[in-house]
Amino acid sequence: MMWRDVGVTLILSLILPVVAQGARHTPPGKPKLTSCRSPDKETFTCWWEAGSDGGRPTTYSLFYHKENSETVYECPDYHTAGANSCFFSKNETSIWVNYNITVVATNALGNNFSDPVDVDVVYIVQPHTPENVTVGVLEDEDGPFLRVSWEPPSKADTRSGWITLIYELRVKLEEAEEWEEHRAGQQKMFNIFSLHSGGVYMVQVRCKPDHGFWSEWSTASYVIVPDYIPRERSMWILIAVFSAFIFLILTWIITLNRSSVKHCLLPPVPGPKIKGFDQQLLKKGKPEEVFNSLVVQSFPPRSTDYEDLLVEYLEVYVNEKQELMPEGKDLQDVGCLKSKSQSDNDSGRGSCDSHTLLMEKCGGVESKDESSYEEPELLQGQAGSWERLERGDSQVVDTPDSSDGRVKTWPLVFSPSIHGSSDNHHYGTLEMPKQHSTSEITYSVPDHLFPTSTSFPHHHHPEYRDSLGEYSEYRCSRSPSTGVAYHWEARHPTQAHSNFNIRNLERQKEATGLGLPPSRSMEYVEVQKVNQENQLVLKPLSSHGRGPFQRQREMAEAGQYCNYREKEGAEAERYPTQQQGKTTKDGPVATQLQESTCLTTSGYVDTAPTMPTF
Amino acid sequence: MSRNNIKQVWALLMVLVCVELRGSDRASAAPICVHGQAGCHFLSLADLFDRVIQHSARMHSISSDLHSEFEQYVLPSRNHIGRINRHCHTATILTPNGKENAQRLAREELTEVILKLLVAWKDPLWQFHQNMVHQDDFNNFSSNKALEMSYMVHELRKGVEKVADKMQHLGMISNSLSGLSSPEALDPSSDTSGESQAMSDHDLLYCFRRDSNKVQNYLKILKCRIVPENGC
Repeated sequence: MMWRDVGVTLILSLILPVVAQGARHTPPGKPKLTSCRSPDKETFTCWWEAGSDGGRPTTYSLFYHKENSETVYECPDYHTAGANSCFFSKNETSIWVNYNITVVATNALGNNFSDPVDVDVVYIVQPHTPENVTVGVLEDEDGPFLRVSWEPPSKADTRSGWITLIYELRVKLEEAEEWEEHRAGQQKMFNIFSLHSGGVYMVQVRCKPDHGFWSEWSTASYVIVPDYIPRERSMWILIAVFSAFIFLILTWIITLNRSSVKHCLLPPVPGPKIKGFDQQLLKKGKPEEVFNSLVVQSFPPRSTDYEDLLVEYLEVYVNEKQELMPEGKDLQDVGCLKSKSQSDNDSGRGSCDSHTLLMEKCGGVESKDESSYEEPELLQGQAGSWERLERGDSQVVDTPDSSDGRVKTWPLVFSPSIHGSSDNHHYGTLEMPKQHSTSEITYSVPDHLFPTSTSFPHHHHPEYRDSLGEYSEYRCSRSPSTGVAYHWEARHPTQAHSNFNIRNLERQKEATGLGLPPSRSMEYVEVQKVNQENQLVLKPLSSHGRGPFQRQREMAEAGQYCNYREKEGAEAERYPTQQQGKTTKDGPVATQLQESTCLTTSGYVDTAPTMPTF
Repeated sequence: MSRNNIKQVWALLMVLVCVELRGSDRASAAPICVHGQAGCHFLSLADLFDRVIQHSARMHSISSDLHSEFEQYVLPSRNHIGRINRHCHTATILTPNGKENAQRLAREELTEVILKLLVAWKDPLWQFHQNMVHQDDFNNFSSNKALEMSYMVHELRKGVEKVADKMQHLGMISNSLSGLSSPEALDPSSDTSGESQAMSDHDLLYCFRRDSNKVQNYLKILKCRIVPENGC
């Protein structure tokens, strides 16, 4: 079986090629005329495509005859136009004559005719592409534009009018996809507007005879448009008109609400209402005279540290030892308070130092350096206690934080009654002095605050006394330790530093008949007036049911009295010794309590009265 | 007073508008005086040539449309055969078949050829139109085109005659064309009327399309030879 298969295979392999070869040898396939074209209406070319060649070399020939003539001619030129083509030169070309063209494929086995094609040269004109396409960027008042110019193809004779060409061009940005086409008619130049600034454009041109085919597109010409800012006038005009309109409306609205707008934008500037301040004098430009006049009236404060304006507490540290025991707990509280006040260098002090806060947070007891109170001569009424106090204060000032002394800060109810109205209760709060490297003077407390009967420390005292009815200047210093606070605490009557006060107060009160209940804690006392003996007539505040906030305000307001300085009478000489110990910048100046002084807490005239009246 | 003034203004405006509208009509109705006589519009030779060339272009486009319509709609139904023996009745008129041939002709001869062609087609076209009306092969649109075609041939001929007159007046061509003005001498229809009738419609359209192309081309050559200002 295998042999038979092999035999069959061999036979087949021998026969098939022969058969196949025989099959390949056929007459050629039918050729086909694909197109005839004339570039100039004077010559033309025809192309054909070959059919199968039938396995034999095949030759092609083209034959034609003209209309109404039976003479058959063969193609004069098979080579000029390439393979499978026939080129008709000028001599063989007749216009307005119908050509009947046939292609014949011939091989050894036969030939094959193509279908005849009628050609009239007039209708097969397809010119070459336009030549010399130039693109330039020109400037116009509206911006740059492209000017494209070209020339007709050299072969097409448009000069004699033999051929009339119409042109078409297309433009696009290099990165765009769609072309923008324009018909240019018979002109050889075209302008393109509305360009993208900075863009790269591609331009192509082609042409067509009035009856014929379009030429190929010319090679692309690239052009770069320079950067420019398009001026669209209409848009700007619209914007200008719109904004002018809005502006007019706004002006009208503002004009209608003139007064309220003016009040909102330019709040009325408060004029100075400082008694004794002469504006005219200031305008004249003689500040010294102005200030001198003011100084006469204890204005302005010399200190540039306006925080001194804030009321601080007057703290009197009497006897440290007496204070030590019962106030262990209070020390920390006071310390916390003190630290609070140390960190606070502004009027927030008032809230911190409020009566209620003291009660709640710190127990109302501030601790200070006990060292400062190592000289508790205050209570003992030793001479120079003031001084020592101040010295101690200075020491304390150096280490404000470490002060363990018990200082009971208390908002000092202080009514200088300057305004002359007995009803005015001005609560001066001598604010907790803040830490200050250079401690400032504590206040020189008017001696009427301390009943003379008490053993108030002082060789100040006599000097205080000297300043009869005079305010001593007290400076609200920042150093907490330098604060001198009057503690009207009745809670711990045994406390040393308050002792004298309380004692004094109690005595005072007894003297005045105020009758403060000793069990009461932290009471405000107001100084109602200063009697002729330089004694403060005190009056408890609690009867008036003040809230803490009021007190705060009063304290803050009264604190502004601190910096009043009245130079009347003896000034610096009052406390010569005091000043030695003091590290304040300015020596305290004896102030005279006058009704005219310490008028206002600030120079502002405001609607709210600075002095609350009750 | 103001009302009267307004009325007068309105009347004046209306009159002006009417004059404008009529003026445009008058422009076409007024005779084109070649010699610059009073009361007519004066056109230069270049303008004349442009007009005439536009006319011939329009004529050729109509004939092309008609021919393509005929081949598209009518011919398949007729099963037309024997296209090879097409014979236009204007074949007797010797026309240049190439650029050199056309340029070799003198101006007068070229003008004469144009006129001969135009004259030869006047009657056949009219006949064709008449035939179309009575036949169902063409629609109304085509019959209108045929009518317009015959009319345009007539107008074109008159225009070319005017151009020839102008040229003669300007001395560009000799006065040998004077004999052409007589329609009887030019009109070969008396000789070829029978032939023209034998032409089929398709052949007629084919022939006329070619001849209108010839006319247009000759006119362009003539223009660029005589007044080569623009477009050449």
